[in-house]
Amino acid sequence: MLHLGDVPEPQLPARDWVRVLPTLSGICGSDLAAIGGHASLYLDPLTSYPFVPGHEVVGTLDDGTRVVIEPALGCKVRGIEPPCPRCAEGRPGLCYNVTEGPIEVGLQTGYCADTGGGWGEVVVAHPSQLHPIAEVLSDEAAVLIEPFACCIHAALRGGPSKDDVVVVLGAGTIGLLTVAAIRMFTPPKRLIAVAKHPTQRDLARKLGADQVIAPDEVFQRVRFATSARRLDGMMDRSLLLGGADVTFECVGRADSLNDAVRFTREGGTVIAVGMPGEEKVDWAPIWQRELTVMGAYAYGSEPKRKGRSTFDLALEAAPELHLEKLTGPLFGLGDYRDAIAYAMNAGRLGAVKVAFDLRGLRP
Amino acid sequence: MARPGAVIEVDRNTPPVLFHFGEGVRLEKLPLGARIVYPPDPLEPIAHPERAIKRALAKPLEDDPLKSLLRRGMKLTIAFDDLSLPLPPMAAPDVRQLVMEEVIDMAAEAGVEDIHLIAALGLHRRMTADEIRHIVGDRIFSTFWPDRLYQHDGEDPEANVYIGKTAEGEDVTLHKRAAESDLVVYVNLTLVPMDGGHKSMSTGLATYRGIRAHHNVKTLLASRSYMNPPDSALHHSCIRQGQLIEDTVRVFHIETTVNNHAFPAIANFMQKRETDWTPRDQAMFLGMKQFTDLAPPAFKRNVFHAMRAPYGLTGVHAGQVDAVHEKTLEAVRNQISVRVEGQTDIVTLGVPYLGPYNVNAPMNPVLVVCMGIGYLFNFYRSKPVLRKGGVLILTHPCRYEFDAVQHPSYIDFYDEVLADTTDPMEIEAKYELRFAEDPWFRQLYRKSHAYHGAHPFYAWYWAAHAIDHAGDIIIVGGERDVVHRLGFKCATTLEDAFEMAEQTVGRYPSVTHLRMPPIMLCDVE
Amino acid sequence: MPWYSGERGLTQLTGTIGAAVNDVRRVRRAWHWDTPRPHTWPAQGEVVPERASDLGWARQEPVRTIRFLIQHGLLLPFTKAMAHPKVEGREWVRELERPVIFAANHSSHADTSLILYALTDRARERTVVAAAADYWFKRPLLGNIVSLFLNTFPFSRTGGAQAQLHSSSQLLKSGWNLVLFPEGSRSIDGRIQEFKAGVGHLANETGTPVVPVHIRGAFRIMPKGQKFPVPGPARVRIGKPMAPQPAEGSRQFTARVEGAVRALADEPSQPDIQGTWIERWRALKPREPKYGE
Repeated sequence: MLHLGDVPEPQLPARDWVRVLPTLSGICGSDLAAIGGHASLYLDPLTSYPFVPGHEVVGTLDDGTRVVIEPALGCKVRGIEPPCPRCAEGRPGLCYNVTEGPIEVGLQTGYCADTGGGWGEVVVAHPSQLHPIAEVLSDEAAVLIEPFACCIHAALRGGPSKDDVVVVLGAGTIGLLTVAAIRMFTPPKRLIAVAKHPTQRDLARKLGADQVIAPDEVFQRVRFATSARRLDGMMDRSLLLGGADVTFECVGRADSLNDAVRFTREGGTVIAVGMPGEEKVDWAPIWQRELTVMGAYAYGSEPKRKGRSTFDLALEAAPELHLEKLTGPLFGLGDYRDAIAYAMNAGRLGAVKVAFDLRGLRP
Repeated sequence: MARPGAVIEVDRNTPPVLFHFGEGVRLEKLPLGARIVYPPDPLEPIAHPERAIKRALAKPLEDDPLKSLLRRGMKLTIAFDDLSLPLPPMAAPDVRQLVMEEVIDMAAEAGVEDIHLIAALGLHRRMTADEIRHIVGDRIFSTFWPDRLYQHDGEDPEANVYIGKTAEGEDVTLHKRAAESDLVVYVNLTLVPMDGGHKSMSTGLATYRGIRAHHNVKTLLASRSYMNPPDSALHHSCIRQGQLIEDTVRVFHIETTVNNHAFPAIANFMQKRETDWTPRDQAMFLGMKQFTDLAPPAFKRNVFHAMRAPYGLTGVHAGQVDAVHEKTLEAVRNQISVRVEGQTDIVTLGVPYLGPYNVNAPMNPVLVVCMGIGYLFNFYRSKPVLRKGGVLILTHPCRYEFDAVQHPSYIDFYDEVLADTTDPMEIEAKYELRFAEDPWFRQLYRKSHAYHGAHPFYAWYWAAHAIDHAGDIIIVGGERDVVHRLGFKCATTLEDAFEMAEQTVGRYPSVTHLRMPPIMLCDVE
Repeated sequence: MPWYSGERGLTQLTGTIGAAVNDVRRVRRAWHWDTPRPHTWPAQGEVVPERASDLGWARQEPVRTIRFLIQHGLLLPFTKAMAHPKVEGREWVRELERPVIFAANHSSHADTSLILYALTDRARERTVVAAAADYWFKRPLLGNIVSLFLNTFPFSRTGGAQAQLHSSSQLLKSGWNLVLFPEGSRSIDGRIQEFKAGVGHLANETGTPVVPVHIRGAFRIMPKGQKFPVPGPARVRIGKPMAPQPAEGSRQFTARVEGAVRALADEPSQPDIQGTWIERWRALKPREPKYGE
């Protein structure tokens, strides 16, 4: 149950923590799933209530430095020595110690009762979470750094090669930024984006897709692109003998997950990038086609890029993409109902990332 | 007395003209001074087809009587044209059935044991058992199906052999059984001057390799038109291939011609000139128009495709291919030639619901181009009715509807190839080979009832000459995005189309309407 | 959404009706329903050789189903009630592998329904009846209604032998059994008249066997000149199929068929026309199923 109100400012949990005042905070698909009830109950023990949502935060420190927050609350942030195996290998999103430390349970800022979140006036953060941003990157572009980092992480984890045919299913924020990430970091032989709405189609093309197709013709077009054979089954379910090499599933719904496992080639890879709920997926194709199905969550340091932090890669790549064209419209916190309704229909309304503008809150 | 074709000038009293509109009909008023070209009336058919056939087989042209060619112990193959002809499909019994029954009678009397019947469909789709039964009749079907009556498979490496190269370097392939036979009897039905002659064997029983030699943009642009063999590079190539085949295997050609009585009595108004419409025809027209405006598409399709044409046999010739084909062409021209004086700025055409490649299927946009801009435009003899740079106006609803069973390669052609470019040369260079070798299209062609993967390309090339010749092409009543994807202009009514055309041909253009089908060949002076 | 807006419902209905009215108006004006034919129009020509259509529509699918229902629901029960026909020789028509010509004597309009009653279902659904074109098809509607009920097609009694036989031979070639009355017209007194030579020509030309049929009692039910039927007993006798001998001419064969029909009229059963008991026994043998067809 979401409501707008005044709450006490979050206290600094440890000495080195700092206050961040958010300027823009994005509304993510995971926030909408949590509010709309679509999120899986699996995430419930990993969250502490009540929490202020908002993990895509660009803000200022007390001294005026513009920063973007890396929301993962791993061992380093919680001050736990030695770090758990996952944090040690550079994957703070998978930290084992999310129940320990000076703050309550929470995978990220924005799902933790003690840190505050982007949809409020004040957030507290550990210095390791802060990334200063250059002048050239506007606030509207910087609010997309966090999702962009997720997509870069997914692209590197999926690792398509230059001979692969890659399909990106879904063209919301995650889908579009995945297209951009793949184009920049792991350019394949052919990149096909599946987009439903006209704005999404245009943006997908601009961000580097070779071909943009509609969801209902995905089997026909992927078949043609890969010279595969197509078999039609009962109740409109088809499968390809052959198919795409790597598929990035950026929708998180049963329909697209089921399609993905049927048109990815035998022995290929399906990466779930968009947060799914508890979805009914037919496992027979996964088993028979010996697919590799993997999840891609959050970010950290990327072994395929010599251990560099995903956020740094995102900050480096962002300026040339002009991400600010994906952001809009902006809403004040008082209009949160409109904002969430808009975000839920973003595709149809021609928007991609809807965000809260908190600049007006302070004089 | 069958009247010859006529050219009527439109004055204030002339009734509006019937335009075919795909699976529908429209009445359009043409501007004053426009010409309407009407096909000749159907000639009287031969009263006793069986006797005429027997006579032709007993006294062939420049060849021995068929009886003397048949002997015990020989390998006999009978090849026949598939159901892309005639259009609409003929009322039972089909002329090919009558001819084949005579031939098989003779073969049975001579004691020929080894006899096979092959449907020479080239790269067209395989027919269903019912469709074959319609062509050959019950008696032949129940005797020979399925082991000795079967369909040509152009993608079967075992069943086709390479014959050689012609003088111009064209590859020639042939169905293995035909190549190894002692005698091949080809039973042909020549509806339009494009069919028959050497084209029968060299395309009907060939593979992609052989057909590619003449089904390409360059050859088709040099065929002006392919309805007139002397002027057609397509036919010159087929003749070269055919001569090589004749040197390899003994072929006895039997060619039949029919009159152009294309519509059954219920649709007489489509056959007749508007000034001849009786009140009954007018009532039928009104009924048909309301039905086609209101009925759901699938039901309409069933009704239209169930129409059987009461064609009558007008001639049958047998023997050596060149002699036979000359007589055949003469008979065809006798029925369908119309004299037209001079070219015009604008030509209007109504595209009918049926073409050779969509029997029992909807006419998809690519086939609309093939039929209207390909076939119907090319029914001329010395020069097109449309002057160079003139405007061609067609009427067809041009819906995005494809038959997934018969035309799978057409769907990808429309979605992928035409979205990229509509230029025939570019299309040929970039995409044709990929479609021809796609394993799924190959599988569907061989096992299901689909046209070959390269077939949509041929349908597109068929219109290359017209697209090159006309200044502009406007489709009236079509769906806007479909027509634009095809690369043409879209108008809602015929009047608007005329106005759009004036941008290209100037004010007060001369207009000719070709009232086809029933088909006719315009001899332009 | 109010009922008068949008494209559904009432708007669509009025739109459709309006369009239809518009079309009728256009045709009416264009073809001068109220004024004389313009002199600038060329003379009306007989475009399509108005040759006797052989009523193809009556043999197409929806009509065949309708006919089945009419016959089984209306015609055959009525015939049974009227005449209680006794049928002999049904075994000859039980399993016809190829079309045959039924040659029957003609004394009444009831003949056709009796013959159809006598046939088995499978034979009946593949049977057409030759009906005199000049009698039945003069008025358009009568001929079409009779076709719907009995599956008749127009058969011209006048005109040369060639024209008469062409449509019949086409039908035989397309797999239809043909019912023919070789006498030509109904006899005035119920006795069998001389058979015309057409049936022999047809059999020779198409190589079809002829099945002789004799009907007794139809003359009492509805003789020539009477408008409505009167109930009475009837008997239909079907003989063995007859094929022309190799050297037999059409006239001789016709005479042989006539002899067979006359013989069928006599009381004691005729083994050579109706078949010996052995032949009938064999004809009634259940068909062996053919495997691997």
